[in-house]
Amino acid sequence: MSLSMRTLAAVVLTVFCVSVPLGAQVPQPSGQAPKNQGEYVPIEQLPPQDQLPAAPLLIAAYSFVLIVFFAYVLSLSRRLTSVQRDVDRLGATLKQSSKP
Amino acid sequence: MPKWFLRAAVVCAVMFVLSPFVIANADYESTMGLVQKIFYYHMPSAWMFLVAGIVCGVASVRFLISGDPRHDRTAWAAAEMAVIFGVVTLVTGPLWARRAWGTYWVWDARTTSSLVQWMVAWAYLILRRYGGPGSDKLAAGLALFGVANVGFIYISVNYWRTIHPATTVVPKLPFTMGFPLWYCVASFTLLFVLLLKMRIRLEEQRATLDSLYLSLDEQH
Repeated sequence: MSLSMRTLAAVVLTVFCVSVPLGAQVPQPSGQAPKNQGEYVPIEQLPPQDQLPAAPLLIAAYSFVLIVFFAYVLSLSRRLTSVQRDVDRLGATLKQSSKP
Repeated sequence: MPKWFLRAAVVCAVMFVLSPFVIANADYESTMGLVQKIFYYHMPSAWMFLVAGIVCGVASVRFLISGDPRHDRTAWAAAEMAVIFGVVTLVTGPLWARRAWGTYWVWDARTTSSLVQWMVAWAYLILRRYGGPGSDKLAAGLALFGVANVGFIYISVNYWRTIHPATTVVPKLPFTMGFPLWYCVASFTLLFVLLLKMRIRLEEQRATLDSLYLSLDEQH
């Protein structure tokens, strides 16, 4: 790459890096604070587009808890049954082999 | 399993079945509304998450001092409890936070140290599973870090700036919210004890199995 091409690439890159953050700035109206800033607004009084329904989050949380514990108890009881079966089988084998 | 185990398991199941009705009758929190009711499962599971870390750490210390494998089995079981109760805490918390804080997660002292604690419990289990000989003592050392972190998690909300509620919230709850909370704490405590007992029993059976294999080898 020639020197002029490198310079051009550097200029384009610099302009891009500076222009993107500048373009992303949202102009604030000068002299007055945004509406409702610094004052408490209960969730129920928020405009509909800002409200998030609570029920799906609540149902998701409780369902998750019950599923996790149910799955864990199931996994634990299966592991216990499997090990118990092996202990019984091996105990029986030992008894048989110890007989004269 | 001991006789009390089945009775306690039935009591625990009944308590969990009744818990939604108890929680439904609790008063609504004035600013968060319905979503605040996640609190009644989130906080008891978080407490059990911390208790599991303490049990794991104390049992590890006792194992390191005495070398008694029973303490090692208790520590291993408690680490698994920390993973289970930890995942419940770390999932229910963000679901509540999404509506209460407007975001699922913030990297503040409480949430970050809780995540670290959960990862320590995972590290303990991975070390025990794949660490080979000597991993019991290495894992016990890791558990000591975990138990130190428990204290940090608890006090973090009182010392660092965070949007997570402080530890002073619970004692100030009115009866209509305090009763469902303590009911759920009792349910989760009973569940924790039962699961821990089952998990310790699994390790005991595995130890029995190992000794049986050794006896069989000696015979041949």
